[in-house]
Amino acid sequence: MPSTKYAGTLTSKERTLRALRGEPVDRPPVTNPTNVATVELMDLVDAPFPTANRDPEMNARLAATGYTQLGFDAIAPYFSIIQESSALGCDMQWEGKDNWPTVRMTNPIWETVDDIKMPDGFLEHPDNKTIIESIRLLKQEFGDEVAIVGKTMGPWTLAYHVFGVEPFLLATVDDPPMVMDMLHRLKQFTIEFGLAQIEAGADVLTLPDHATGDLVSGEYYRRFLMDLHHEFVEDLPVPIMLHICGATTDRMPYIATTGMAAFHFDSKNDPQESMDAVDGGINLVGNINNPVTLYSRTPEEVRAEVFRCLDAGVQLIAPECAIPLKTKLENLLEIPRAVEDWAAEHWNYSEN
Amino acid sequence: MPIVNEGLQREFEWVTRPGEQKHIGEALDLADAVMQDIAYALITGQHLEVDRITQECLNNGYTANHILDHGLLNGMAIVGVKFRDNVIFVPEVLVAARAMKAGMAHIEPILSASGIEPIGTVIMGTVKGDLHDIGKNLCIMMLRGAGWTVHDLGVDTSPEEFADAVMEHEAQLIGMSALLTTTMPNMGRTIAYFEDIGLRDEVRFMVGGAPVTREFADEMGADGYGENAVECVETASDLLNLIKELA
Repeated sequence: MPSTKYAGTLTSKERTLRALRGEPVDRPPVTNPTNVATVELMDLVDAPFPTANRDPEMNARLAATGYTQLGFDAIAPYFSIIQESSALGCDMQWEGKDNWPTVRMTNPIWETVDDIKMPDGFLEHPDNKTIIESIRLLKQEFGDEVAIVGKTMGPWTLAYHVFGVEPFLLATVDDPPMVMDMLHRLKQFTIEFGLAQIEAGADVLTLPDHATGDLVSGEYYRRFLMDLHHEFVEDLPVPIMLHICGATTDRMPYIATTGMAAFHFDSKNDPQESMDAVDGGINLVGNINNPVTLYSRTPEEVRAEVFRCLDAGVQLIAPECAIPLKTKLENLLEIPRAVEDWAAEHWNYSEN
Repeated sequence: MPIVNEGLQREFEWVTRPGEQKHIGEALDLADAVMQDIAYALITGQHLEVDRITQECLNNGYTANHILDHGLLNGMAIVGVKFRDNVIFVPEVLVAARAMKAGMAHIEPILSASGIEPIGTVIMGTVKGDLHDIGKNLCIMMLRGAGWTVHDLGVDTSPEEFADAVMEHEAQLIGMSALLTTTMPNMGRTIAYFEDIGLRDEVRFMVGGAPVTREFADEMGADGYGENAVECVETASDLLNLIKELA
């Protein structure tokens, strides 16, 4: 929703939160529901992987570069999807500087619904604590000017991690009521970690829940997750950005009914078709292609994709998912530049 | 004979491409009622039923090859089409794969003992640094269903492990999978490793995975690309034909 009244006067935080609430903004915000850290940024602030995932100060230093170096309107102090699962006891592979840490889903830790129990010290686990402490640090330093985005994994993704992808997906066919029970029980981890981040200062939460079209149907989303996602809106009192990778246009009409503030969508979905699919029911965040455009193309091609999203009416601009760690900075820097240029032409936006 | 299993008739209606209608239709014409029952039970993921009927058929004198060709593979052909066309998704394919496995548990020992040559041999693995395997596993299931011998190296596979497996099993093909944008370049590094050790001309590479595109596959020097498990089998077949033509 454009407004010349605020031209160039909103802080990044105001811009992001207003856009998520559907209120007028001076230009569309550039945000990062998923990781925008790169190897270059790690070197710049001396915060390399894997340590930056586990040390709050290093984590905050690296996360802040999304705002201080790239000019995005948000800071997201998480670079992977492992925290809660690590705290639950999943087997981890920490990798090195040029790869994300990963859960070894081929070694699931749980087999039945009765295995799902809140472990002692869930929030004190080093991987969860790092994110919570990092949010506190970032809030102190940047809290007035930029939106601090936390992240709490949804129950569907947690189920992949703790039960293994294949056993969990087989269970969805063999025993759907049991799977619903599993998802309801896993929800406690999503809420616990989300509330802790809000208490620490998160203005917004990303909620990744990978019911992707690469694995399951849109009907699956409606059947297993739509109502649960609606419940999160009441349980977690900040704007929520739902993230699901892959082809999701078929489930966007359902997602649009959840009441979440935004849906972070993948470049496998055409921006205009996606806007039509949600039909004003939810804001869209996205969907600049990672593996081709940001990783291996030029700033001109990045610009063209940003314009394509903005022309379609996408409300918040972002890479489609966690960016490749060797993405060139010039391509990332082009995203906010392109948004400002587009807004200057279409909304009479001026930085000054 | 015509399709007498009503469920299978409904399933066959999902096959809409003319070439596939002809190919699968002709195969189903050779399937009697009990083979149709196996195909339908497989498509709908009834693994206990596939297990039971397969055992009964073997007891009643059907050959292992007949059950494989006219029952199990007919079912898998329709599963593949439905998956490619987004009629079904991974959970439904997984239950069909489980049913296939239940049938193959009876069939495979007999086929192995009879010394029937496989179509070819392929080494499959998710590349170094990547622990995702569901796409690779679907490809393996489809390849085995199509008659390939597949050696699965699992996840986090180094170039050296791929090379060792090629030499050990004298494989013609390697299939590499990646889900992460950070690990995709390891496909190209594996191909480069084969060049370095002088093995590149001995094997053809096919690649796939959610973020992998045909363009990326071409740039890294892969010989083939498959967007999904059905295309993986087609790519493997095309590459094998190419190898035979060049031999």
